[in-house]
Amino acid sequence: MIPDFEYGFYVWTSYAVFALVIGWQIIQPLARRRRILAELREELALETGEYDDPDS
Amino acid sequence: MIWKTLKVGFHRLGSPPTFYRISALISPWLWAGFALCTAIGLYYALYVVPPDYQQSDSYRILFIHVPSAWQAMAGYLVMAILAAIALVWRIRTTEIMAMMCAPIGAAFTVICLLTGSLWGRPMWGTWWAWDARLTSMLVLLFIYLGIMGLYAAFEDRRKGARVACILVLVGVVNIPIIHFSVEWWTTLHQGSTIRFFGESTMHPSMMPPLVWMTVAVKLMFGAVLLDRSRNELLEQDRRKGWVRQAFGGDA
Amino acid sequence: MNLRALAALLMRDLRLAVRHGGESLMPLFFLFAVLILVPLGVGPGPNLLAAIAPGMIWVAALLASLLALENLFRPDHEDGSLEQWWLGHLPVTGLVMTRLFSHWLITGLPVILFAPLAAQMLYLPNQALGVLVLSLLIGTPILSLVGGLAAALTLGTNRGSVLLSILVFPLVVPVLIFATGAVSAVADGFSPRAHLGLLAALLVLALTLVPLAVTAALRLNIE
Repeated sequence: MIPDFEYGFYVWTSYAVFALVIGWQIIQPLARRRRILAELREELALETGEYDDPDS
Repeated sequence: MIWKTLKVGFHRLGSPPTFYRISALISPWLWAGFALCTAIGLYYALYVVPPDYQQSDSYRILFIHVPSAWQAMAGYLVMAILAAIALVWRIRTTEIMAMMCAPIGAAFTVICLLTGSLWGRPMWGTWWAWDARLTSMLVLLFIYLGIMGLYAAFEDRRKGARVACILVLVGVVNIPIIHFSVEWWTTLHQGSTIRFFGESTMHPSMMPPLVWMTVAVKLMFGAVLLDRSRNELLEQDRRKGWVRQAFGGDA
Repeated sequence: MNLRALAALLMRDLRLAVRHGGESLMPLFFLFAVLILVPLGVGPGPNLLAAIAPGMIWVAALLASLLALENLFRPDHEDGSLEQWWLGHLPVTGLVMTRLFSHWLITGLPVILFAPLAAQMLYLPNQALGVLVLSLLIGTPILSLVGGLAAALTLGTNRGSVLLSILVFPLVVPVLIFATGAVSAVADGFSPRAHLGLLAALLVLALTLVPLAVTAALRLNIE
Protein backbone atom coordinates (compact mmCIF):
# COMPACT_ATOMS: atom_id res chain seq x y z
CA MET A 1 0.00 0.00 0.00
CA ILE A 2 2.59 2.55 1.05
CA PRO A 3 5.06 2.82 -1.82
CA ASP A 4 8.70 2.16 -1.02
CA PHE A 5 10.68 5.13 -2.35
CA GLU A 6 14.32 5.73 -2.79
CA TYR A 7 15.15 8.71 -0.56
CA GLY A 8 11.91 7.71 1.20
CA PHE A 9 12.85 9.52 4.40
CA TYR A 10 13.08 12.88 2.65
CA VAL A 11 9.94 12.36 0.57
CA TRP A 12 7.79 11.26 3.49
CA THR A 13 9.14 13.93 5.84
CA SER A 14 8.27 16.55 3.21
CA TYR A 15 4.74 15.24 2.86
CA ALA A 16 4.46 15.12 6.66
CA VAL A 17 5.56 18.76 6.89
CA PHE A 18 2.96 19.64 4.28
CA ALA A 19 0.25 17.71 6.15
CA LEU A 20 1.20 19.25 9.50
CA VAL A 21 1.20 22.85 8.29
CA ILE A 22 -2.01 22.42 6.28
CA GLY A 23 -3.59 20.64 9.25
CA TRP A 24 -2.66 23.53 11.50
CA GLN A 25 -4.21 25.95 9.00
CA ILE A 26 -7.43 23.92 9.16
CA ILE A 27 -7.54 23.43 12.93
CA GLN A 28 -6.53 26.93 14.04
CA PRO A 29 -9.61 28.74 12.60
CA LEU A 30 -11.92 26.00 13.89
CA ALA A 31 -10.50 26.21 17.42
CA ARG A 32 -10.64 29.99 17.37
CA ARG A 33 -14.22 29.97 16.16
CA ARG A 34 -15.21 27.62 18.99
CA ARG A 35 -13.55 29.88 21.55
CA ILE A 36 -15.17 33.05 20.19
CA LEU A 37 -18.63 31.46 20.09
CA ALA A 38 -18.24 30.17 23.65
CA GLU A 39 -17.24 33.62 24.86
CA LEU A 40 -20.08 35.21 22.93
CA ARG A 41 -22.62 32.81 24.42
CA GLU A 42 -21.32 33.53 27.89
CA GLU A 43 -21.52 37.29 27.37
CA LEU A 44 -25.06 37.05 26.02
CA ALA A 45 -26.12 34.82 28.89
CA LEU A 46 -24.64 37.26 31.38
CA GLU A 47 -26.57 40.11 29.82
CA THR A 48 -29.93 38.31 29.76
CA GLY A 49 -29.46 36.98 33.28
CA GLU A 50 -29.56 33.38 32.15
CA TYR A 51 -25.96 32.78 33.11
CA ASP A 52 -25.54 29.44 34.79
CA ASP A 53 -22.62 29.94 37.14
CA PRO A 54 -20.57 26.71 37.11
CA ASP A 55 -19.16 27.53 40.56
CA SER A 56 -22.46 27.83 42.38
CA MET B 1 -25.75 51.05 -15.28
CA ILE B 2 -24.00 47.68 -15.02
CA TRP B 3 -21.03 49.42 -13.44
CA LYS B 4 -23.25 50.91 -10.78
CA THR B 5 -24.88 47.57 -9.98
CA LEU B 6 -21.44 46.03 -9.66
CA LYS B 7 -20.29 48.82 -7.39
CA VAL B 8 -23.29 48.55 -5.12
CA GLY B 9 -22.95 44.78 -5.01
CA PHE B 10 -19.28 45.10 -4.16
CA HIS B 11 -19.94 47.44 -1.28
CA ARG B 12 -22.80 45.28 -0.05
CA LEU B 13 -20.47 42.30 -0.06
CA GLY B 14 -18.13 44.38 2.05
CA SER B 15 -20.68 44.82 4.80
CA PRO B 16 -19.78 42.46 7.64
CA PRO B 17 -23.12 40.61 8.02
CA THR B 18 -23.34 39.93 4.28
CA PHE B 19 -19.74 38.83 4.09
CA TYR B 20 -20.27 36.63 7.11
CA ARG B 21 -23.26 34.90 5.50
CA ILE B 22 -21.83 34.51 2.02
CA SER B 23 -18.43 33.27 3.15
CA ALA B 24 -20.18 30.60 5.22
CA LEU B 25 -21.84 29.41 2.00
CA ILE B 26 -18.68 29.41 -0.12
CA SER B 27 -16.10 28.05 2.30
CA PRO B 28 -17.41 24.41 2.51
CA TRP B 29 -17.33 24.15 -1.30
CA LEU B 30 -13.73 25.36 -1.36
CA TRP B 31 -12.83 22.80 1.30
CA ALA B 32 -14.56 20.04 -0.67
CA GLY B 33 -12.70 21.07 -3.83
CA PHE B 34 -9.45 21.10 -1.89
CA ALA B 35 -10.05 17.58 -0.54
CA LEU B 36 -10.90 16.26 -4.00
CA CYS B 37 -7.96 17.89 -5.79
CA THR B 38 -5.52 16.84 -3.07
CA ALA B 39 -6.72 13.24 -3.23
CA ILE B 40 -6.27 13.13 -7.01
CA GLY B 41 -2.99 15.05 -6.86
CA LEU B 42 -1.49 12.84 -4.18
CA TYR B 43 -2.60 9.71 -5.99
CA TYR B 44 -0.79 10.87 -9.11
CA ALA B 45 2.24 12.17 -7.20
CA LEU B 46 2.80 9.06 -5.10
CA TYR B 47 1.48 6.17 -7.21
CA VAL B 48 1.13 7.04 -10.88
CA VAL B 49 4.21 8.99 -11.92
CA PRO B 50 7.33 6.84 -12.39
CA PRO B 51 10.62 7.66 -10.62
CA ASP B 52 12.77 10.24 -12.41
CA TYR B 53 15.82 8.80 -14.15
CA GLN B 54 18.12 11.36 -12.49
CA GLN B 55 16.48 12.24 -9.21
CA SER B 56 14.72 8.93 -8.57
CA ASP B 57 11.84 9.43 -6.13
CA SER B 58 13.10 12.59 -4.45
CA TYR B 59 11.51 14.73 -7.17
CA ARG B 60 8.10 13.78 -5.76
CA ILE B 61 8.81 16.44 -3.11
CA LEU B 62 8.47 19.03 -5.86
CA PHE B 63 4.75 18.26 -6.23
CA ILE B 64 4.16 19.94 -2.87
CA HIS B 65 7.16 22.24 -2.93
CA VAL B 66 6.38 24.02 -6.20
CA PRO B 67 2.64 24.63 -5.56
CA SER B 68 3.51 25.95 -2.09
CA ALA B 69 6.13 28.30 -3.51
CA TRP B 70 3.67 29.57 -6.13
CA GLN B 71 1.01 30.04 -3.50
CA ALA B 72 3.41 31.85 -1.15
CA MET B 73 3.94 34.42 -3.91
CA ALA B 74 0.37 34.45 -5.23
CA GLY B 75 -0.81 34.90 -1.65
CA TYR B 76 1.21 38.08 -1.41
CA LEU B 77 -0.35 39.32 -4.64
CA VAL B 78 -3.84 38.64 -3.28
CA MET B 79 -2.92 40.40 -0.05
CA ALA B 80 -1.56 43.40 -1.94
CA ILE B 81 -4.70 43.76 -4.08
CA LEU B 82 -6.89 43.53 -0.98
CA ALA B 83 -4.67 46.03 0.83
CA ALA B 84 -4.88 48.50 -2.06
CA ILE B 85 -8.68 48.19 -2.13
CA ALA B 86 -8.76 48.58 1.64
CA LEU B 87 -6.65 51.74 1.63
CA VAL B 88 -8.45 53.39 -1.28
CA TRP B 89 -12.08 52.58 -0.45
CA ARG B 90 -11.63 52.08 3.31
CA ILE B 91 -13.65 48.85 3.37
CA ARG B 92 -13.12 47.15 6.69
CA THR B 93 -13.82 43.63 5.42
CA THR B 94 -11.04 43.88 2.85
CA GLU B 95 -8.67 45.25 5.51
CA ILE B 96 -9.33 42.15 7.59
CA MET B 97 -9.03 39.84 4.60
CA ALA B 98 -5.70 41.40 3.62
CA MET B 99 -4.38 40.86 7.12
CA MET B 100 -5.59 37.27 7.22
CA CYS B 101 -3.63 36.50 4.04
CA ALA B 102 -0.35 36.98 5.90
CA PRO B 103 -0.40 33.94 8.21
CA ILE B 104 -1.53 31.66 5.37
CA GLY B 105 1.12 33.00 3.03
CA ALA B 106 3.71 32.58 5.78
CA ALA B 107 2.57 28.96 6.25
CA PHE B 108 3.14 28.22 2.56
CA THR B 109 6.52 29.96 2.68
CA VAL B 110 7.48 27.70 5.59
CA ILE B 111 6.34 24.61 3.65
CA CYS B 112 8.33 25.78 0.65
CA LEU B 113 11.50 26.38 2.68
CA LEU B 114 11.32 23.12 4.65
CA THR B 115 10.50 20.92 1.66
CA GLY B 116 13.15 22.73 -0.39
CA SER B 117 15.65 21.92 2.32
CA LEU B 118 14.49 18.28 2.43
CA TRP B 119 14.87 18.07 -1.34
CA GLY B 120 18.27 19.77 -1.29
CA ARG B 121 19.75 17.36 1.23
CA PRO B 122 19.77 14.26 -1.04
CA MET B 123 20.13 16.25 -4.30
CA TRP B 124 22.66 18.97 -3.45
CA GLY B 125 24.11 17.22 -0.41
CA THR B 126 23.31 20.15 1.87
CA TRP B 127 20.29 21.32 3.85
CA TRP B 128 20.69 24.92 2.80
CA ALA B 129 22.21 26.62 -0.21
CA TRP B 130 22.37 30.37 -0.77
CA ASP B 131 20.41 29.82 -3.93
CA ALA B 132 18.58 32.88 -5.24
CA ARG B 133 15.12 31.39 -4.85
CA LEU B 134 15.71 29.98 -1.41
CA THR B 135 17.16 33.24 -0.17
CA SER B 136 14.38 35.41 -1.52
CA MET B 137 11.83 32.97 -0.07
CA LEU B 138 13.48 33.41 3.32
CA VAL B 139 13.27 37.18 2.98
CA LEU B 140 9.61 36.83 1.92
CA LEU B 141 8.97 34.87 5.12
CA PHE B 142 10.37 37.73 7.17
CA ILE B 143 8.21 40.22 5.29
CA TYR B 144 5.14 38.11 6.10
CA LEU B 145 6.21 37.92 9.75
CA GLY B 146 6.77 41.68 9.83
CA ILE B 147 3.25 42.30 8.52
CA MET B 148 1.75 39.90 11.07
CA GLY B 149 3.80 41.45 13.88
CA LEU B 150 2.86 45.00 12.92
CA TYR B 151 -0.85 44.13 12.77
CA ALA B 152 -0.70 42.37 16.13
CA ALA B 153 1.25 45.18 17.82
CA PHE B 154 -1.61 47.67 17.67
CA GLU B 155 -4.22 47.92 20.37
CA ASP B 156 -6.69 49.33 17.86
CA ARG B 157 -7.17 46.49 15.34
CA ARG B 158 -8.50 48.78 12.64
CA LYS B 159 -5.55 51.15 12.86
CA GLY B 160 -3.17 48.18 12.91
CA ALA B 161 -4.76 46.78 9.76
CA ARG B 162 -4.50 50.07 7.89
CA VAL B 163 -0.88 50.68 8.88
CA ALA B 164 0.04 47.10 7.99
CA CYS B 165 -1.69 47.56 4.60
CA ILE B 166 0.80 50.36 3.86
CA LEU B 167 3.61 47.93 4.66
CA VAL B 168 2.03 45.37 2.31
CA LEU B 169 2.14 47.91 -0.52
CA VAL B 170 5.74 48.86 0.31
CA GLY B 171 6.51 45.15 0.04
CA VAL B 172 4.97 45.01 -3.44
CA VAL B 173 7.52 47.55 -4.66
CA ASN B 174 10.32 45.88 -2.77
CA ILE B 175 9.85 42.15 -3.38
CA PRO B 176 10.74 42.25 -7.09
CA ILE B 177 13.81 44.36 -6.25
CA ILE B 178 14.83 41.92 -3.52
CA HIS B 179 14.35 38.97 -5.84
CA PHE B 180 16.35 40.59 -8.62
CA SER B 181 19.16 41.71 -6.30
CA VAL B 182 19.47 38.29 -4.70
CA GLU B 183 19.58 36.66 -8.13
CA TRP B 184 22.33 39.07 -9.17
CA TRP B 185 24.17 38.38 -5.91
CA THR B 186 24.13 34.57 -6.24
CA THR B 187 25.25 34.63 -9.86
CA LEU B 188 28.17 36.83 -8.86
CA HIS B 189 29.14 34.74 -5.88
CA GLN B 190 28.58 31.22 -7.13
CA GLY B 191 28.79 31.25 -10.87
CA SER B 192 25.97 29.19 -12.32
CA THR B 193 23.99 27.76 -9.45
CA ILE B 194 22.14 24.50 -9.41
CA ARG B 195 18.72 24.97 -10.87
CA PHE B 196 15.56 23.36 -9.61
CA PHE B 197 14.56 21.85 -12.89
CA GLY B 198 18.03 21.71 -14.35
CA GLU B 199 18.38 21.70 -18.12
CA SER B 200 16.14 18.69 -18.45
CA THR B 201 12.69 19.79 -19.50
CA MET B 202 9.80 18.59 -17.47
CA HIS B 203 8.42 15.25 -18.53
CA PRO B 204 4.72 15.52 -19.52
CA SER B 205 3.81 12.82 -16.98
CA MET B 206 4.79 15.27 -14.23
CA MET B 207 2.11 17.73 -15.22
CA PRO B 208 -1.10 16.16 -13.79
CA PRO B 209 0.03 15.93 -10.13
CA LEU B 210 1.55 19.40 -10.32
CA VAL B 211 -1.63 20.94 -11.72
CA TRP B 212 -3.94 19.13 -9.29
CA MET B 213 -1.85 20.08 -6.28
CA THR B 214 -1.58 23.69 -7.45
CA VAL B 215 -5.35 23.96 -7.77
CA ALA B 216 -5.81 22.22 -4.40
CA VAL B 217 -3.48 24.63 -2.66
CA LYS B 218 -5.24 27.65 -4.21
CA LEU B 219 -8.66 26.41 -3.09
CA MET B 220 -7.30 25.81 0.37
CA PHE B 221 -5.86 29.32 0.54
CA GLY B 222 -9.29 30.73 -0.32
CA ALA B 223 -11.07 28.52 2.20
CA VAL B 224 -8.72 29.33 5.08
CA LEU B 225 -8.81 33.01 4.14
CA LEU B 226 -12.61 33.08 4.37
CA ASP B 227 -12.65 31.11 7.64
CA ARG B 228 -10.02 33.27 9.27
CA SER B 229 -11.66 36.51 8.11
CA ARG B 230 -14.99 35.32 9.48
CA ASN B 231 -13.40 34.69 12.86
CA GLU B 232 -11.67 38.04 12.91
CA LEU B 233 -14.90 39.85 11.98
CA LEU B 234 -16.83 37.97 14.63
CA GLU B 235 -14.29 38.75 17.32
CA GLN B 236 -14.04 42.43 16.44
CA ASP B 237 -17.80 42.91 16.10
CA ARG B 238 -18.79 40.85 19.10
CA ARG B 239 -20.54 43.81 20.70
CA LYS B 240 -22.28 44.94 17.53
CA GLY B 241 -25.90 44.49 16.64
CA TRP B 242 -25.54 42.06 13.76
CA VAL B 243 -23.56 39.57 15.84
CA ARG B 244 -26.00 39.86 18.72
CA GLN B 245 -28.88 39.30 16.32
CA ALA B 246 -27.25 36.36 14.59
CA PHE B 247 -26.31 34.57 17.78
CA GLY B 248 -28.88 35.95 20.18
CA GLY B 249 -31.23 33.14 19.30
CA ASP B 250 -29.15 30.15 20.20
CA ALA B 251 -27.48 31.67 23.25
CA MET C 1 8.08 76.05 0.55
CA ASN C 2 9.30 77.93 3.56
CA LEU C 3 12.91 76.87 3.73
CA ARG C 4 13.66 78.87 6.83
CA ALA C 5 11.13 76.93 8.89
CA LEU C 6 12.53 73.63 7.65
CA ALA C 7 16.04 74.82 8.50
CA ALA C 8 14.80 75.69 11.99
CA LEU C 9 13.49 72.14 12.46
CA LEU C 10 16.79 70.76 11.22
CA MET C 11 18.79 72.97 13.57
CA ARG C 12 16.58 71.98 16.48
CA ASP C 13 17.07 68.27 15.79
CA LEU C 14 20.83 68.68 15.48
CA ARG C 15 21.04 70.82 18.62
CA LEU C 16 19.12 68.18 20.53
CA ALA C 17 21.50 65.51 19.24
CA VAL C 18 24.55 67.51 20.27
CA ARG C 19 23.16 68.21 23.74
CA HIS C 20 22.40 64.54 24.24
CA GLY C 21 26.13 64.10 23.69
CA GLY C 22 26.90 60.45 24.33
CA GLU C 23 23.75 59.22 22.74
CA SER C 24 24.52 60.76 19.38
CA LEU C 25 27.99 59.25 19.40
CA MET C 26 26.45 55.77 19.66
CA PRO C 27 26.62 55.06 15.89
CA LEU C 28 30.37 55.58 15.97
CA PHE C 29 30.84 53.44 19.06
CA PHE C 30 28.82 50.83 17.28
CA LEU C 31 30.97 50.94 14.17
CA PHE C 32 34.12 50.52 16.21
CA ALA C 33 32.64 47.83 18.44
CA VAL C 34 31.93 45.76 15.33
CA LEU C 35 35.33 46.66 13.95
CA ILE C 36 37.15 45.40 17.04
CA LEU C 37 34.97 42.43 17.91
CA VAL C 38 34.84 40.77 14.49
CA PRO C 39 38.64 40.45 14.02
CA LEU C 40 38.79 39.10 17.58
CA GLY C 41 36.18 36.57 16.58
CA VAL C 42 37.42 35.47 13.16
CA GLY C 43 41.17 35.97 13.64
CA PRO C 44 43.58 38.68 12.42
CA GLY C 45 44.34 37.18 8.98
CA PRO C 46 44.61 40.10 6.50
CA ASN C 47 43.14 38.16 3.57
CA LEU C 48 40.03 37.10 5.43
CA LEU C 49 39.53 40.56 6.96
CA ALA C 50 39.98 42.29 3.60
CA ALA C 51 37.41 39.94 2.07
CA ILE C 52 34.76 40.63 4.69
CA ALA C 53 35.60 44.32 5.24
CA PRO C 54 32.92 45.84 2.93
CA GLY C 55 30.22 43.62 4.38
CA MET C 56 31.26 44.40 7.95
CA ILE C 57 31.41 48.15 7.49
CA TRP C 58 28.04 48.04 5.76
CA VAL C 59 26.40 45.91 8.42
CA ALA C 60 27.81 48.27 11.04
CA ALA C 61 26.35 51.24 9.15
CA LEU C 62 23.01 49.46 8.96
CA LEU C 63 22.91 48.65 12.67
CA ALA C 64 24.05 52.17 13.52
CA SER C 65 21.13 53.60 11.55
CA LEU C 66 18.73 51.37 13.51
CA LEU C 67 19.92 52.82 16.82
CA ALA C 68 18.26 56.20 16.66
CA LEU C 69 15.08 55.08 14.91
CA GLU C 70 13.04 54.36 18.00
CA ASN C 71 13.03 58.05 18.91
CA LEU C 72 12.71 59.46 15.40
CA PHE C 73 9.04 60.46 15.71
CA ARG C 74 8.08 59.13 19.14
CA PRO C 75 8.91 62.15 21.37
CA ASP C 76 7.06 64.47 18.99
CA HIS C 77 4.15 62.08 18.97
CA GLU C 78 4.02 61.89 22.74
CA ASP C 79 4.16 65.63 23.40
CA GLY C 80 1.63 66.27 20.64
CA SER C 81 3.85 68.38 18.40
CA LEU C 82 3.61 65.81 15.62
CA GLU C 83 -0.06 66.65 15.17
CA GLN C 84 0.92 70.27 14.66
CA TRP C 85 2.72 69.20 11.48
CA TRP C 86 -0.70 68.79 9.87
CA LEU C 87 -2.07 72.04 11.24
CA GLY C 88 0.71 74.36 10.12
CA HIS C 89 1.20 75.83 6.66
CA LEU C 90 4.27 73.73 5.89
CA PRO C 91 4.01 70.65 3.66
CA VAL C 92 4.23 67.56 5.87
CA THR C 93 6.39 65.74 3.33
CA GLY C 94 8.96 68.51 3.65
CA LEU C 95 9.01 68.18 7.43
CA VAL C 96 9.34 64.41 7.12
CA MET C 97 12.25 64.81 4.70
CA THR C 98 13.95 67.28 7.05
CA ARG C 99 13.62 64.90 9.97
CA LEU C 100 15.03 62.04 7.92
CA PHE C 101 17.88 64.25 6.72
CA SER C 102 18.84 65.05 10.32
CA HIS C 103 18.70 61.33 11.12
CA TRP C 104 21.12 60.72 8.27
CA LEU C 105 23.42 63.54 9.47
CA ILE C 106 23.52 61.97 12.94
CA THR C 107 23.83 58.26 12.07
CA GLY C 108 24.98 58.02 8.46
CA LEU C 109 27.53 60.81 8.12
CA PRO C 110 29.78 59.83 11.08
CA VAL C 111 30.05 56.31 9.70
CA ILE C 112 31.01 57.68 6.28
CA LEU C 113 33.63 59.99 7.79
CA PHE C 114 35.25 57.20 9.74
CA ALA C 115 34.89 54.55 7.02
CA PRO C 116 38.42 55.22 5.62
CA LEU C 117 39.90 54.55 9.05
CA ALA C 118 37.81 51.42 9.44
CA ALA C 119 38.87 50.28 5.97
CA GLN C 120 42.55 50.67 6.90
CA MET C 121 42.06 48.64 10.07
CA LEU C 122 40.49 45.84 8.03
CA TYR C 123 43.15 45.87 5.26
CA LEU C 124 40.68 46.84 2.55
CA PRO C 125 42.68 47.37 -0.68
CA ASN C 126 43.34 51.07 -1.25
CA GLN C 127 41.77 51.16 -4.71
CA ALA C 128 38.46 50.06 -3.18
CA LEU C 129 38.38 52.85 -0.60
CA GLY C 130 36.88 55.49 -2.86
CA VAL C 131 34.09 53.19 -3.96
CA LEU C 132 33.38 52.20 -0.37
CA VAL C 133 32.89 55.83 0.60
CA LEU C 134 30.85 56.45 -2.55
CA SER C 135 28.63 53.45 -1.85
CA LEU C 136 28.10 54.69 1.70
CA LEU C 137 27.27 58.16 0.41
CA ILE C 138 24.61 56.78 -1.95
CA GLY C 139 23.45 53.98 0.30
CA THR C 140 23.17 55.36 3.83
CA PRO C 141 20.43 57.85 2.88
CA ILE C 142 18.37 54.83 1.75
CA LEU C 143 18.94 53.28 5.18
CA SER C 144 17.63 56.45 6.83
CA LEU C 145 14.62 56.57 4.50
CA VAL C 146 13.67 52.92 4.98
CA GLY C 147 14.32 53.17 8.70
CA GLY C 148 12.15 56.27 8.91
CA LEU C 149 9.37 54.37 7.19
CA ALA C 150 9.61 51.56 9.74
CA ALA C 151 9.66 54.10 12.59
CA ALA C 152 6.54 55.77 11.22
CA LEU C 153 4.73 52.45 10.79
CA THR C 154 5.46 51.31 14.36
CA LEU C 155 4.74 54.70 15.94
CA GLY C 156 1.37 53.70 17.37
CA THR C 157 2.64 50.48 18.96
CA ASN C 158 4.18 50.26 22.39
CA ARG C 159 6.88 47.71 21.58
CA GLY C 160 8.40 49.25 18.51
CA SER C 161 12.06 48.37 18.80
CA VAL C 162 11.90 44.62 18.06
CA LEU C 163 9.40 45.18 15.31
CA LEU C 164 11.57 47.93 13.82
CA SER C 165 14.48 45.62 13.07
CA ILE C 166 12.17 42.93 11.62
CA LEU C 167 10.61 45.50 9.30
CA VAL C 168 13.87 47.15 8.21
CA PHE C 169 15.95 44.06 7.53
CA PRO C 170 14.08 42.61 4.51
CA LEU C 171 13.74 46.05 2.94
CA VAL C 172 17.45 46.85 2.98
CA VAL C 173 18.63 43.53 1.52
CA PRO C 174 19.07 45.02 -1.99
CA VAL C 175 21.01 48.01 -0.62
CA LEU C 176 23.44 45.76 1.17
CA ILE C 177 23.89 43.53 -1.90
CA PHE C 178 24.57 46.33 -4.39
CA ALA C 179 26.76 48.37 -2.05
CA THR C 180 29.03 45.54 -0.93
CA GLY C 181 28.93 44.19 -4.47
CA ALA C 182 30.36 47.48 -5.75
CA VAL C 183 33.23 47.42 -3.26
CA SER C 184 34.00 43.75 -3.90
CA ALA C 185 33.94 44.35 -7.65
CA VAL C 186 36.63 47.02 -7.40
CA ALA C 187 38.69 44.94 -5.00
CA ASP C 188 38.60 42.14 -7.60
CA GLY C 189 39.55 44.55 -10.37
CA PHE C 190 36.15 45.00 -12.05
CA SER C 191 34.16 48.15 -12.69
CA PRO C 192 31.71 49.04 -9.91
CA ARG C 193 29.54 51.16 -12.21
CA ALA C 194 26.68 48.71 -12.60
CA HIS C 195 26.34 48.21 -8.85
CA LEU C 196 26.62 51.90 -8.06
CA GLY C 197 24.12 52.75 -10.78
CA LEU C 198 21.59 50.31 -9.36
CA LEU C 199 22.24 51.67 -5.87
CA ALA C 200 21.61 55.18 -7.14
CA ALA C 201 18.40 53.96 -8.79
CA LEU C 202 17.30 52.56 -5.43
CA LEU C 203 18.04 55.93 -3.82
CA VAL C 204 15.92 57.75 -6.39
CA LEU C 205 13.09 55.27 -5.90
CA ALA C 206 13.28 55.57 -2.12
CA LEU C 207 13.46 59.37 -2.29
CA THR C 208 10.29 59.54 -4.37
CA LEU C 209 8.16 56.88 -2.67
CA VAL C 210 9.23 56.73 0.97
CA PRO C 211 8.21 60.27 2.00
CA LEU C 212 4.69 59.57 0.70
CA ALA C 213 4.48 56.30 2.63
CA VAL C 214 5.93 57.88 5.78
CA THR C 215 3.41 60.73 5.65
CA ALA C 216 0.53 58.28 5.16
CA ALA C 217 1.74 56.05 8.00
CA LEU C 218 2.24 58.98 10.41
CA ARG C 219 -1.18 60.28 9.55
CA LEU C 220 -2.83 56.95 10.27
CA ASN C 221 -0.95 56.67 13.53
CA ILE C 222 -2.00 60.03 14.93
CA GLU C 223 -5.64 59.71 13.82
